[in-house]
Amino acid sequence: MAAQSATASRSGLRSALPLLAPAYLWLTVAIFLPLSAMVFFSFMTDLPLSGKSWAFTLGNYAAFFSQSLYLTLLLASLRLGLEVTLWCIVIGYPAAYVLAKVLKGRSREAIFLLVILPFWSNGLVRIFSWAMVLREGGILDTALNAVLPFKINIDLMYSYPAVIIGLVHSYVPYMVLTCYLTLQAIDDSLIEAGRSLGASRLQVLKRVIIPLSMPGLVAGAALIFVPVVGSFMEPRILGGRTGTFYGTVIEDQFVAVFNWPLGAALSFILLAVVLVILAIASPVLRRAA
Amino acid sequence: MRMPRLTALLTATAVFTTALTLAASAAEVHVLNWKGYGADEPWAVAAFEKATGNKVVNDFFNSEQEMLTKIRTNPGLYDVVMINAAFNDQAMAEKLIQPIDTSKLPNYADISKDKAGSPMLDHDGKVYGVPWVWGLTALAINEKSFDNPPTSIAEMWDPKHKGRVVIRDDAVEAVQFGAIATGQNINDIKDMDAVKTKLTSLMPQIKTFWSSENDWNQMVASNQIDIGTYWSGSADRAKTHFKLPVSLVIPREGAVAWLDAFSIPVGSKNVEGAQAFINWMIDPKFYVEWVTKVGAPVSANTKAVEALPQDAFNRKVMGDPEVAKRIQFQAPITDAQREAYLALWQQLKVDVK
Amino acid sequence: MATTRILEGLGRLYIFLLLAFLYLPIIIMALMSFNVSPFYQLPFEWTTEWYASLWQNDQLIAATWNSLEIAIITTLISVVMGSAASLALYRYEFRGKKVLQALLFPPIAIPWLITGTAMLIFFFGVGIGRGLFAILLGHVALALPYVIVVVSARLQTFAPELEEAARSLGANQWQVTMRVTLPWIMPGVIAGGLFAFAVSFDQFVVSYFLSTPGQTTLPVEIYAAIRKGFTPEINAVSTIIIVVSMALMLLTARFFKFGGEK
Repeated sequence: MAAQSATASRSGLRSALPLLAPAYLWLTVAIFLPLSAMVFFSFMTDLPLSGKSWAFTLGNYAAFFSQSLYLTLLLASLRLGLEVTLWCIVIGYPAAYVLAKVLKGRSREAIFLLVILPFWSNGLVRIFSWAMVLREGGILDTALNAVLPFKINIDLMYSYPAVIIGLVHSYVPYMVLTCYLTLQAIDDSLIEAGRSLGASRLQVLKRVIIPLSMPGLVAGAALIFVPVVGSFMEPRILGGRTGTFYGTVIEDQFVAVFNWPLGAALSFILLAVVLVILAIASPVLRRAA
Repeated sequence: MRMPRLTALLTATAVFTTALTLAASAAEVHVLNWKGYGADEPWAVAAFEKATGNKVVNDFFNSEQEMLTKIRTNPGLYDVVMINAAFNDQAMAEKLIQPIDTSKLPNYADISKDKAGSPMLDHDGKVYGVPWVWGLTALAINEKSFDNPPTSIAEMWDPKHKGRVVIRDDAVEAVQFGAIATGQNINDIKDMDAVKTKLTSLMPQIKTFWSSENDWNQMVASNQIDIGTYWSGSADRAKTHFKLPVSLVIPREGAVAWLDAFSIPVGSKNVEGAQAFINWMIDPKFYVEWVTKVGAPVSANTKAVEALPQDAFNRKVMGDPEVAKRIQFQAPITDAQREAYLALWQQLKVDVK
Repeated sequence: MATTRILEGLGRLYIFLLLAFLYLPIIIMALMSFNVSPFYQLPFEWTTEWYASLWQNDQLIAATWNSLEIAIITTLISVVMGSAASLALYRYEFRGKKVLQALLFPPIAIPWLITGTAMLIFFFGVGIGRGLFAILLGHVALALPYVIVVVSARLQTFAPELEEAARSLGANQWQVTMRVTLPWIMPGVIAGGLFAFAVSFDQFVVSYFLSTPGQTTLPVEIYAAIRKGFTPEINAVSTIIIVVSMALMLLTARFFKFGGEK
């Protein structure tokens, strides 16, 4: 990655602009400007719809700090994001490694595509199907009891583990994909060289493979952590009584009480926290690489 | 066959034209309602279109707030909108809906007097909403879990149902349910602490918070729950249409009642078609067919209810004067109240985590 | 080496287990599309009734086509624009680059609910309105950050010396990009495209706010259906989509070796 800066300084913004402009213009029109309007709303007492009176206020942001509820839920959501990301790394990274380095030929492409395919199906239908698996008397319960000599009761539905399972299932392909991309780019001769110099498999993994695949790992972690912290649908349906998270209270503000200013303020606090975490985490991860 | 549209769309993006908004044409009636709630029944729509020459275009909402947002942001698009009576006031105050000339609705004369005269729908002597159907948020039970149906709301708190109780994930409904459980008026809750204490003690009983009819039916079908809050029309549909072991219980402590009504948004391009559609919806013939084929709440039209068989649930149970005494109709709620209820409900849900 | 073979075997087993985990709900979804009970009730009773009624459900079919069209166009646009932007971010150094990179995260971090509402208000305010065009506008914007992040991750493994070498052999910028850089990042571009398709095809919230009657997408139809009229027709349509895309993908994998040569 040191090589990157060698080419980088060659030319500046002028050369970059034609390549950057379409994407960032599109993002500006469809995301940044609308979100700026939302930032504006988050400082208002009421929506300027249908002639209601409104004024500027910091009250929506103050609301976050005035009640312990929001902080509790934000921490719970961050923990959820962290756990799901870790599980995705634990499950996804080895799979990406096997795909990139062990499997060869046609079967690799086919299996790679098979990993992606599930998230082309509808998210809600997928969650409903998980409900069938996890509930008491469901598929998992029945299957385990058919195999095991003793009777156990499996009812994971409407619990924290159910939320984790559902989210990991939805997001693990992201990790496989991004890690595969960087692992596959590692030259096999590098690994062989390491081995022939007497390094153990573990040492090669630690000194060569993991550092070189770090960009994929970081990208995957960010793509998982960030949306999971704000998720609301999976926790609501799979979590039951324990399914209240930061994302669900934001949803409530928009859907149930129509308090968009407060909902917007809560989301921007979430955004700020997530960006701070990414900023702190990225140098640390880079140093580890 | 699909390609021309694909290319058209591509060109559209390339030249960055303005939106392809759908304008309502004169012969179309644009209806905004819950999905699967009578107005979009294919047989009813077909019959109406044949009889009046209007074409029905349905659009749906998933919450009252969303319904209001849709009318606010699409002036002139809708001709008929279904509004819970408790929200009619707000819609009128925001000038989203217009007065209805009831003389153009022959069936309006048969609407029961207490519903037609509801102060929630009539403002300054003008009618802003035509009562359509009403129903209850009461309890429903999984028949497999009970030998005899319970009569009291206290059943929800019975330890033998621990982990098999459900309640809807809706702050207003939950708080009003708590008010009934503590013997209070749902529209004038004096002792909020009592409601909070009562609901707090309910939380450990809860399996999950349901949000759609489908949730409830799935859980009963897989025998995961015993009892929970449910809507009367949905319980009836689950029993008659889906043949699930569900029956409605109107507890002796009472139940929350709601009234759904049709309104005509300001700027409707087809008021005549809208009137014809509303009249069609409150007609006994449509209602009987709806109840028989699908299952429905109770019509506000007395003649429509009388057209049902003697022992029909909507006539026998819901028409029972004893029941009428127990139920409390939801009145409008201020935004401040709504937010207070939500804060309470969220706190309860966090505490149970 | 014996250990190598054992490790390879374990690797294959592991992939198999992962696929089993990923496909468990998909298989159940497919099974339930052939079950009589609309509430996923067991015991299983075979029926093709849901496929038959799906055939009659013009609304659901139209929404499915809309979803496919939008997802395909979104994929094309976001892959082209996103790859270009990633290249620029990789090649050039300029002030504000870090800001541009950080700006990719708000679209991912802010719950789609807020983004969707914001788009609705803004599009409405500036006269873009709602409908399929607005949905497309939104989907591309949501997919772009994913494409850029994924392609950039791949670019990080690219050795700039290759570009230099090609340049010293007399290739111009365009030739370098098309002949050297693009083939190397192709797996990233394809992966980005797969992401973009998934983001668009399964996007509910934003589409939901931007759709109008008659101009909706499949997820919007599905979410509207669960409130009252959920039927396994939805399982049926999802099953058809999965089976068709699986067939297409396996066919692609057979004739087109992507993933880069080693």
